[in-house]
Amino acid sequence: MKRIISIIVLLISTQTFSQFYKTYDWETIPRLHELTIDELNESSTAILKKNIVEFKQSEITNNIRVYETTHNIIRVNDDKGISRHNQVYIPMHRVKKIKGIKARTINKDGEITNLDENNIKKIENVDEYGDFQIFAIEGAENGSEIEVLYTLEKEFSPFGNELLQQDYPIKRCEMVFITNGLTGNIKTYNTDQNFERTYLENNLIEELVLTDIPKIIEEDYATPDANKIYASYQCFGNPNLTQDDIWNSTITNIGSDFFPEVINETVLEETKNAIMKDKASDISEFEKASFLENYIKSNFTVIENRNPQLEDIDYILKNKSASDFGILKAYAHFLNALAIEYQIVVTASRFEHKLDPDFYNPTALREFLIYLPNIRQYISPNRIDYRLSEAPSSILGNNGVFINEKLQYYFAKISQYDPNYSRIKRVMDISFSDDFDKATVEEYQEYLGHWGIQNRAFMALTTGEQKAGFEDYLTGSGIEDKNVTKLELENTDMNQTEYNLPYIVKSTIESSAMLEEAGESYIFQLGKIIGIQSELYQEKDRIHPIEMQYPNQYNYTITVTIPKGYELEGLESLVIHKKLEVDEEVLCKWDSDYTINDSELIITIEESYYVNEYPKEHYKGFRDVINAASDFNKAAILFTEK
Amino acid sequence: MKKILILILFFTQLVSAQKVVDFESEDYYYMERSQHLKITLNKDTFSIVNNVFEKAKYNTANKLYFANDLIHFDSFTDIEDIDAYTENATNKIKVDHFETKDQFGGSVFFSDQQTINFVFPAVTKNVTTTLKYKEIIKDPHFLGSFRFGTYVPTKEAVYSVEVPKNVELGYKTFNLDQIDLTFEKTETKKTTIYTWKATNIGDFRKDETSLSILKYLPHIIVHIKNYEVKKEIKPILNDVTDLYSWYVSLKNQIDKSNLEDVFSIADDLTKDLKTDAEKTRVIFNWVQDNITYVAFEDGLGGFIPRGAASVCNKRYGDCKDMANILYEMLNKVGVKAYHTWIGTRDRPYSYYEVPTPIVDNHMIASVEINGEIIFLDATDSYVPYGMPSSFIQGKEALIGISDKEYKIIKVPEQLKEKNTSLIKTTISLKDNSINALETRTMKGYEMVDFIYDVKFSKKDKTAEEYLNNKYKIGNNKTTYKNINLGDLSTKNESYVINYDLEINNYAKRIGSKIYLNLNIEKPLSKGIILKENQRFGKKIDHKYVRDYITTFMIPEDYTLKSFPENIINEQEKYGYSIKFHKKDNQLIASKRIYMNILSLENHEFDEYNLFIKSLIKAYKKSIILEKIK
Repeated sequence: MKRIISIIVLLISTQTFSQFYKTYDWETIPRLHELTIDELNESSTAILKKNIVEFKQSEITNNIRVYETTHNIIRVNDDKGISRHNQVYIPMHRVKKIKGIKARTINKDGEITNLDENNIKKIENVDEYGDFQIFAIEGAENGSEIEVLYTLEKEFSPFGNELLQQDYPIKRCEMVFITNGLTGNIKTYNTDQNFERTYLENNLIEELVLTDIPKIIEEDYATPDANKIYASYQCFGNPNLTQDDIWNSTITNIGSDFFPEVINETVLEETKNAIMKDKASDISEFEKASFLENYIKSNFTVIENRNPQLEDIDYILKNKSASDFGILKAYAHFLNALAIEYQIVVTASRFEHKLDPDFYNPTALREFLIYLPNIRQYISPNRIDYRLSEAPSSILGNNGVFINEKLQYYFAKISQYDPNYSRIKRVMDISFSDDFDKATVEEYQEYLGHWGIQNRAFMALTTGEQKAGFEDYLTGSGIEDKNVTKLELENTDMNQTEYNLPYIVKSTIESSAMLEEAGESYIFQLGKIIGIQSELYQEKDRIHPIEMQYPNQYNYTITVTIPKGYELEGLESLVIHKKLEVDEEVLCKWDSDYTINDSELIITIEESYYVNEYPKEHYKGFRDVINAASDFNKAAILFTEK
Repeated sequence: MKKILILILFFTQLVSAQKVVDFESEDYYYMERSQHLKITLNKDTFSIVNNVFEKAKYNTANKLYFANDLIHFDSFTDIEDIDAYTENATNKIKVDHFETKDQFGGSVFFSDQQTINFVFPAVTKNVTTTLKYKEIIKDPHFLGSFRFGTYVPTKEAVYSVEVPKNVELGYKTFNLDQIDLTFEKTETKKTTIYTWKATNIGDFRKDETSLSILKYLPHIIVHIKNYEVKKEIKPILNDVTDLYSWYVSLKNQIDKSNLEDVFSIADDLTKDLKTDAEKTRVIFNWVQDNITYVAFEDGLGGFIPRGAASVCNKRYGDCKDMANILYEMLNKVGVKAYHTWIGTRDRPYSYYEVPTPIVDNHMIASVEINGEIIFLDATDSYVPYGMPSSFIQGKEALIGISDKEYKIIKVPEQLKEKNTSLIKTTISLKDNSINALETRTMKGYEMVDFIYDVKFSKKDKTAEEYLNNKYKIGNNKTTYKNINLGDLSTKNESYVINYDLEINNYAKRIGSKIYLNLNIEKPLSKGIILKENQRFGKKIDHKYVRDYITTFMIPEDYTLKSFPENIINEQEKYGYSIKFHKKDNQLIASKRIYMNILSLENHEFDEYNLFIKSLIKAYKKSIILEKIK
């Protein structure tokens, strides 16, 4: 019986569908392509990257089917290029059927090696990525062209994305979007070019052709992955949906979970007997929210696996385990129990994806924050390293969808409320041994804002080498023979309840390497005490907009005791003033200067980044400020006998 | 009712120097970790079950991430009867969701390694978690090992092995003198039980700069030596000969068909060559250049090399595939080549002590030319012919001469003189800045490391940033120009890069004098070992000699008033010398730094730190120029 049905279905499907992928094929006889010298100097260059996405509705069942065809031709020019492309992974997420996988190589002598299909392997449930089919490209040598062609039939989803820029150059990139009469939208990002309507075998399609796409460049203070060229598309059976409709329906769908009408009994009990136990009734909202967050982060774990119960509130409360979506439900119940007003923020890491409010794309809805509007602070529910704070740096600056208890939503850029939130204050006293063999630095530091939160997390969560490396940073990195004779830390517990409590470091170090002999004089590498500073390089024009982790400031007061009988030279290297001013507003600056006071040299430094985004046109000015720190790091002063 | 005859045979050893573990100050530790390995034999068939038990305690809620746990297995093992739960003061909550995942990533493209992943529920301060399961071992060659220590401290660790009386167990213990330990050998009617019980074991965590943790971690490797059935003694892994004959049985399953293409490539490459050395070199280089490393480790496929024809056609393979294609090609052209099993430096075992597959994790080919064994490891695409890959130096190689005959030979540690960097620099002074032209010529592992680094580690940022971070030349503010990172397209014995440098504000001017430090690069100056952070011996990748020949052009309007005295601190293990020599208007500084060891043990740290401090001091000396009036 079963068998008959399946045969009928098969007959129907062959009659009613005629998809484009069926006629699409590679050249029967491949040929090597001409490449320029520059392209040959790359480890690999894509000659063709073609993607065809086709939606087709069955006339009989009304089901929509999705076919995705991938066709790549890549020249590999060296071993790095080969190892970049000779292992192919095809994600099986949502894949119903594989409609053929083909791969071949043609070497410089024109010899062709075809993939033996028996060598395609299946791997299942890999980390959080799901299943894959994988194979290694056969016959690839330096100078070979690797060609891969496959089509996947996928379960219907109205949404999809295609990445069109890689870490190697692409000579020609084609994308074809076929909806077969269904309403569809497609939008490109990070390029000026748009899809154009054209006909393919009498079928109206959207097509994009890009040529000579450069490889994505890594730069400091940038989000290169989020800046890659890509296309995002939508295709629905219902032709009348607007972007607002989609947002509305999503938020109605998920929103009710975030704003429960009835508070769970267990939550009420835990709130009373654990979170608010022995607490005064008039504690601030900041404290209340902190107690709650500390409680959840000390008792619940957020985990990633396929267990569907991790979104069920009763299961979550019993097992104290939740998915990153499920933990929001727990927070929601507790926040209601504590009568704290909140909004749910849905967004993405700005390093991966910039959310576009005008085009619904589920890829952009991967991170959740809880915003407390009365105190303008955020809870990062799935981050064990974070506590109630300004928005964490991975999110700051991205757009977010804010949802309130009435399930109303609005889009806003996630910004920092207090521009002075993250600061580091350092006070140092430097003295020398009588024979100028050794310098001693006594230091008091305060880390505020994100710095403080991150320091606490780092020291609590890491061990071994990582922890040792961090202690090195706390006492000034890059001092060759540094001997730490004292290191005391205060306010180290991650579970704080006071707003922006500083993380305090008190240390003493000794070093002989900071002093050099110069005849009867001594050179003191004073700059080294501020630790290794990042240096910005640029050979070509800046590509990416500048994004820092968050606005931040450093303030130093360095007091050097001048030994009797000596005077100082070379102090001019301590004086550096740099700033970036745009429209009469100082966006960032470095000011270092000194005064001499009897037997003391007092140096002050103020390094401030008031915003975290800078236009790339002002890269030079920004770089000058950043590099002022590394210029200061090499500052040296001379002690000469009077 | 079992009648048990107990024979307590052994000793309790207390090591006074041992660090006391304060379990209550730990965020998380193991209260108990135990394994009971039970071997039974039915005629010729073994049934081997390892019962694993682990109980951990959370003293704080700081490290709840330990709730994520997993069990590894592969096609040689099955996992059964998993029971995992969390206990707090009032409840026991069982793990109700387990997921099997394929392992993926790292250097292996496809393998049969899998994990069962799960998360302990409701972990928080003061709870305990318990995990029990059975590991069914399907092949008697893979009994495995037991580690008394792990990444967090363990209060009690027990390992017991129960074997029938007709099975002879072999075992080798490592580093047990480091811990409090009792050993018992118990006889029952039909079995013998070996039990090792240790208490208060500190944590053991691997770190990148250290020697293999297995050199320090207390552990035991067990193996079945032989068994007796009907008065006949049948060997499993009695000694290296048994291990080798098992390897031969696997090796003999290699597909040797369709080798025509492989042979014709070998013939073609060597047709004009006379000596074995020339032929070996050209074939080795061909495999290095043409076979890309891609590893499939699937069941016995992890042990049996794929046929050379297939590897040649696909142009990829793993270590044993490359070893086997070398073997076929070399033997075809008349060079006697051998399959060779070997462990990398992180497996600190000897075949003689532990005749089990745990000793090795790698395969190479070897040839004997003019009485000298040459080790050929084509997985390293850049190592020069004649040198082994750096990560097998000093290791025993099991060379398969014939099906019956093998040799065990130590891969020599490569002499420092083979791994050299020569840095020639010409410096001229311009105001307070200096300009320098620099050429670096690298050989041996110095060359190999640089090539891998520049090819695979260098991000697509600027070449200047790469060099600045790598060499840290000058005062942290060095401008590079005319960078030439060399030609990687052909194989050479040496590799040369060059660039120009401009270092601002480098010279110090006082009155009519200029102070200038010619040590613009200070290798090893960050080498001081912090003993509190470096718990285990320090690993050194290779021995080397680095020579810096720096020529300073004395400006016309200055005289060289003084330059530092020559300093020499040359020791057996490491050393340096800095010498100055004035010639006409040039001052030539010759600096040599060498390293003649591959490891530094903890007791050597003080001596080494003294050496580094003396080097730092030597780096502090400047030359003095005076303006001609």
